Amino acid sequence: MNAIPLVAMEGIEKRFPGVHALKQCRFELRAGEVHALVGENGAGKSTLMKVLTGVYRKDAGRIVYKGTEVDIPDTIKAQQLGIGIIHQELNLMPHLTVAQNIYIGREPRKKIPLFLDEKALHEQVRHLFGRMNLAVDPRAKVSELTVAKQQMVEIAKALSYRSEVLIMDEPTAALTDSEIAELFRIIARLRAEGVGIVYISHRMDELRRITDRITVMRDGSYIDTVRTADVDMDRIIAMMVGREVYHEPKTGGAAKLGEPVLEVTGLSRGKAIRNVSFALHKGEILGFAGLMGAGRTEVARAVFGADPIDGGTIRVHGREVRIKQPSDAVRHGIGYLSEDRKRFGLLVDMDVQTNVAISSYARFRHPTGWMKRDKIAQTAEEVVRSLKVKTPNVRQKVKFLSGGNQQKVVIGKWLTRNSDILIFDEPTRGIDVGAKNEIYKLLEQLAAQGKSILMISSELPEILRMSDRVIVMCEGRITGELSREEATQEAIMKLATLHSDKSAGHESVTSGGNPK
Amino acid sequence: MKWAVNASGENNAGAETPAGANRRFSFARGGVLQQLLAFASLILLVIVFSFSSDNFFVFDNIMGILLSTAVIGVLALGSTFVIVTGGIDLAVGTVMTFSSVMTGVIITFWGAPIPLGIIGGIATGAFCGFLSGVAVAKMKIPPFIVTLAMMMITKGLSLIISGTKPIYFTDGRASGFKDISMASVTHSLFGIEIPNAVLIFFGLAIVAGLLLTKTIVGRYTFALGSNEEATRLSGVKVDFWKIVVYTITGVFSGIAGILMASRLNTAHPALGAGYELEAIAAVVIGGTSLSGGQGTILGTVIGALITSVLTNGLRILSVPQEWQTVIIGLVLVGAVYADILRRRKA
Amino acid sequence: MKTKKFGLIGVSLLAAAMVLGACGKKNDNAAAGGGDKMYIPVISKGFQHQFWQAVKQGAEKAAKETGVEITFEGPETESQVDKQIEMLQAALDKKPAAIAFAALDSKAAIPLLEKAKASNIPVVGFDSGVDSDIPVTTAATDNLAAAGLAADKMAELIGGKGEVAVIVHDQTSRTGIDRRDGFVKRIEEKYPDIKIVDIQYGGGDQLKSTDLAKAIMQAHPNLKGFFGANEGSAIGVLNAVGELKKDGQIVVIGYDSGKQQMDAIRSGKMAGAITQDPIGIGYWSVKAAVQAVKGEKVEPSIDTGFHWYDKTNIDSDEIKPLLYE
Repeated sequence: MNAIPLVAMEGIEKRFPGVHALKQCRFELRAGEVHALVGENGAGKSTLMKVLTGVYRKDAGRIVYKGTEVDIPDTIKAQQLGIGIIHQELNLMPHLTVAQNIYIGREPRKKIPLFLDEKALHEQVRHLFGRMNLAVDPRAKVSELTVAKQQMVEIAKALSYRSEVLIMDEPTAALTDSEIAELFRIIARLRAEGVGIVYISHRMDELRRITDRITVMRDGSYIDTVRTADVDMDRIIAMMVGREVYHEPKTGGAAKLGEPVLEVTGLSRGKAIRNVSFALHKGEILGFAGLMGAGRTEVARAVFGADPIDGGTIRVHGREVRIKQPSDAVRHGIGYLSEDRKRFGLLVDMDVQTNVAISSYARFRHPTGWMKRDKIAQTAEEVVRSLKVKTPNVRQKVKFLSGGNQQKVVIGKWLTRNSDILIFDEPTRGIDVGAKNEIYKLLEQLAAQGKSILMISSELPEILRMSDRVIVMCEGRITGELSREEATQEAIMKLATLHSDKSAGHESVTSGGNPK
Repeated sequence: MKWAVNASGENNAGAETPAGANRRFSFARGGVLQQLLAFASLILLVIVFSFSSDNFFVFDNIMGILLSTAVIGVLALGSTFVIVTGGIDLAVGTVMTFSSVMTGVIITFWGAPIPLGIIGGIATGAFCGFLSGVAVAKMKIPPFIVTLAMMMITKGLSLIISGTKPIYFTDGRASGFKDISMASVTHSLFGIEIPNAVLIFFGLAIVAGLLLTKTIVGRYTFALGSNEEATRLSGVKVDFWKIVVYTITGVFSGIAGILMASRLNTAHPALGAGYELEAIAAVVIGGTSLSGGQGTILGTVIGALITSVLTNGLRILSVPQEWQTVIIGLVLVGAVYADILRRRKA
Repeated sequence: MKTKKFGLIGVSLLAAAMVLGACGKKNDNAAAGGGDKMYIPVISKGFQHQFWQAVKQGAEKAAKETGVEITFEGPETESQVDKQIEMLQAALDKKPAAIAFAALDSKAAIPLLEKAKASNIPVVGFDSGVDSDIPVTTAATDNLAAAGLAADKMAELIGGKGEVAVIVHDQTSRTGIDRRDGFVKRIEEKYPDIKIVDIQYGGGDQLKSTDLAKAIMQAHPNLKGFFGANEGSAIGVLNAVGELKKDGQIVVIGYDSGKQQMDAIRSGKMAGAITQDPIGIGYWSVKAAVQAVKGEKVEPSIDTGFHWYDKTNIDSDEIKPLLYE
């Protein structure tokens, strides 16, 4: 371990207008190690890596690559040095083939350089895939591949630059467990070949599985670098948030079941939803657990009227209702908080007050047709106060808020609409560890006020901490219901893999952050 | 954003059974399917019209259809490039006119030889495209606005330069000009009288096809339309290639201008308005996506033929003109809807 | 790189300055109208076509003679009724002495014309009439009668029987409707053995009219005569006949003039055409406006006339001044 590190960054400074993004940051990567870079959102991980890959220029500091100081003014220079990055949002051209994507910008040419040499291109790709032991058709269009395969293509692309440094930004965010296993296999192989890998992730269990060292950042500053084997994950989380976080189990007395407010019977839609029946009671948090593709989101969307159903009845407050489109659901007091807030929950380019009022405009409309702007602002301010939304004022555009505060705005929207049934799909996805607790407290308060909450989550600790009851789904069916006492990680996982055919359990199951 | 939808959709499908995976695979090659569909519609149209009227499937009429496809078709070939990048060029029609006027100025006002006029016309088109490209790539003005402005500018310049008068190619020196479009090389070689304009159109289609599929230009055209940011991050000089693409579109407009002027033996400064939309319609009917990233030259050729076969056939059947445009509008919507259905299945 | 960029910007700025400069000059002219000289805006149906250029020539001639200031403008196509109304509105706002106006839509302009009447601004119609008694006079060709003459000539040239077709520039404008109806009515009334097999509209676009005419000729192989109701339509018909090599087999009758039609008539490819007197129309529109302002008596309608011309009389003293290249 006394060899020269592959990359050494020291005293890195970066300022953006009004923000001191990186303060005296340092980072060291050795050949043949997987080095995790962790921190809350906004801690500066991505900014630091963008400095390393030439997307941003540093204001001060040194980057030493293989023993010599280097200047990395642009991404092309980083590629030439052998520093590759796999972005969180995959940077591929979906309409091009795998091979075309990998060699974009460096296409082999024929003798007349205007013309492309497709034969040479595929030859090179075959060679590359052989090295990675990767089975992907180079002629397939990228849009035809699963996200996992696309990620492999990104990795192959990075490696095709003979990268010795590979930066992966939350690579498992969209992968299934078996796909993650495949990814880890490739990472292990690259590590064995001496590639240095920077691994950015929020998932503590993954860090444990594959990283050698962990560097923690907080608020743009370097905190510490530790050997993974030497620390437990609670310690890492504490370093990230600057305080200890407790995963207290759900407290309070035995679940007092109020009257049922939402009763679903025999709901079905093709293969995605098979004869699903359940009831949600007043003041209850009902957890929906299951593996990715189990049909939980599909049930939520069907109940909300976002997708057509083949059969089944829905009762709200004991009365049968017909929900053909989301506006029907909203009229019956059902609010749906999508896992993808930015796409389905918010008008990100508009301000807080508009977002809060958007579903309740009828209430803010004066008979003459004008909007009651004072009333909207007043309502929005109440929401901001009661939900503790961190925003300078209600006219702030939502896109400038953090993930946790955006989520609160969505909650505020449905509260303003007087929804008493709230369906949360992955309520804390993409939200900092610290802010998660705030959202949890908010959900508990809402339940205590008599709202009924259906919460879909792929994180078992979250399900266990929040739910009064847990419903587990697998392959579109409900495979079991657990009371709070019965609900354990093991019990849920058993039900979640209760496949109807004999090939049960082909998905490897891990506790904790199970990716969706 | 469309990318994200696609990705998650695929991801869900990935969790399905192998049978699902197979189905996805067979539909995935649907670019071909769309073209087969378009081609089948074209053949169907030809058959229907042939049975409806004895005067439709006649050599002269078929040549008439091809000839009437030539100008719009060449514009559509050029437009395909810009549209595949996810851009749009509204100026192709008026740049065409401007190029024809410049050719007229060079040949008849300046008395230069015909080949010089042709080069000048094409260069005019290329220069207009180049300027649009610079404005799009370097000044970051949206293509719609840039080319709308270019449309107005070239429309005005055509009138100014020509003095709002048509320029006739009837003087002694320009007398061979009409032959560019209307003579027939095949007639002198094989005795089949196919007008040069038609041959030039198909020749250009082959060139455009090669350019789009076999060359570096085509590769980056698709890459730009598919994911511009990813292309940039891959080290491709995105701005440069955008300018190249708009210039190519301009070159095709220039050639279309010469074909048109040659066929009419006149450069009419007031022509060309609305041609850009017909060209875009042909491109879209041919299966090219306005959001970029996909499209083929064969599709565009078929799309252009469908519109002109339809127009010609309806005229031969004496369908009132008002209804002709209604029908073509319906075909446009139908073609795009078929494309959407296909994509939804895939 | 830098210099190139700046060069480009420089060129664009220069161009912009030139354009703005040119506009400025025009505005000055218009504003000057409010001063010593009488100002009469002439709002035509277009400016791009040769016909309108000839009308403009006539208007300018009258302006020079009478010592008034005029502006001449018109929309780009004859379907842009709304644009023309805007032009009329703008012209009224400049408080002119009188207005010369060629209505694209004979009804749409009436409210504005009433406004003009209320402000004591005399209105002179030209080229085609307005369904109103507001215009003090209208200087126009009787298009119905002119197209009737074309029908008579057609009948004469094809021997009183057979199939004929018509390409018209527009199905909604006054001239388009009148020329179509004038031709069709005369045939129906006087020549029962002649059948009009098709009437199509080419927007005055030469290329489109060519393809249109070709399709019609394909559909009706026995066609004996073809009438193009304006310059663009007529040239389209000529091209179609040429491309299908039916020169001499089909009698082509055109409308207005222009170099291509005149050449075709001289060479015999076109049997003949109707010419209006565009210069006269323009001349009388301004002249009558001046007379109206001065309170002189003006005839309620000024027929500027139309004439048949063919190979025999194209260079005659009577016809030659009416034709434009």
